[in-house]
Amino acid sequence: MLSRAAWSFVLRTGGLGARGTHSPGDAARSEGRMPPYTNCYAQRSYPMPDEPFCTELTAEQRALKEKEKGSWTQLSPAEKVALYRLQYRESFAEMNRRSNEWKTVMGSVFFFFGFTALLIWWQRVYVFPEKPITLTDEWKARQLQRVLDMKGNPVQGLAARWDYEKKQWKK
Amino acid sequence: MAYPFQLGFQDASSPIMEELLHFHDHTLMIVFLISSLVLYIISLMLTTKLTHTSTMDAQEVETIWTILPAIILIMIALPSLRILYMMDEINNPSLTVKTMGHQWYWSYEYTDYEDLSFDSYMIPTSDLNPGDLRLLEVDNRVVLPMELPIRMLISSEDVLHSWAVPSLGLKTDAIPGRLNQATLISTRPGLFYGQCSEICGWNHSFMPIVLEMVPLKHFESWSLSMI
Repeated sequence: MLSRAAWSFVLRTGGLGARGTHSPGDAARSEGRMPPYTNCYAQRSYPMPDEPFCTELTAEQRALKEKEKGSWTQLSPAEKVALYRLQYRESFAEMNRRSNEWKTVMGSVFFFFGFTALLIWWQRVYVFPEKPITLTDEWKARQLQRVLDMKGNPVQGLAARWDYEKKQWKK
Repeated sequence: MAYPFQLGFQDASSPIMEELLHFHDHTLMIVFLISSLVLYIISLMLTTKLTHTSTMDAQEVETIWTILPAIILIMIALPSLRILYMMDEINNPSLTVKTMGHQWYWSYEYTDYEDLSFDSYMIPTSDLNPGDLRLLEVDNRVVLPMELPIRMLISSEDVLHSWAVPSLGLKTDAIPGRLNQATLISTRPGLFYGQCSEICGWNHSFMPIVLEMVPLKHFESWSLSMI
């Protein structure tokens, strides 16, 4: 009992359960509701805000709303579209449209790659010191011979891949 | 020592390191499985147009994804503890060697029979012989008999250091005022390299450790020559 009261305070569904979080309610029960989603564009994850898009209606639009209270088969397609536009800012097709944002994003990403490459190149030329002598091919060859002679890592590593009989790398 | 394009650990030269290699394989497999599952689920989440925004109940899956990780963790912890206790087994060492960390070199003392002690400094790059390993060679290597358990007592004269030899699975902190013990046993002769593994100042990267594991006869003649 107590936990249910505490939980309902958190969820604020006004006793409606899970569906009450987002479903439209009548005015009499709306004190306990979460505030409606009016100032953002509709999103694919929240396509039907509680409040209608147009709240100030002209006389013509008010007449249409009156007509809506009757049977919907009396409404022409144009009137249905007009009512839809009163209620919602964008249609699903408009809401879900693709954009060219990805081109901007990828372009900026590649630009910064290139810029970074320039920075690194400059750094190599003007900042880095001389490479140590141990990175010359001759030294590396002697080093490798020395490691093979002392059978370093003979189980699965370097010396394991050298064929000592034939004096070559194992195929 | 490490070799170019190495992907995993250095080959094990002691039984403990072999155990650690197998344990690492086991744990890494679990890690890969979990990571690929998570990556797969993330890719599923990112490539759907479906949404579901109302609060959901999920007791069953919540129970599973609490119990299952607990079981996986136990499956990792048990082998880990086994190896941890294995490292502390009584093994009747044949020799005791003390090593003291200094800024920025190691000193070794063999005091079981006579008093033998020496310092071990890194050889600077300009003084290397062709074919030597840069930043890894030392002037006086630690010569030890192979295939015998050796007690290493590790401490420091000034700041924290750490005496590490990866291919033997050793890493023990050198703490001033404290004696730490490690057991060293090598299954193979040869040179085994390591580096100081606790930040100790300006030359922390330049105080390596080189063990030269040799047959007992060679060790005896070496120690005679060093006294």
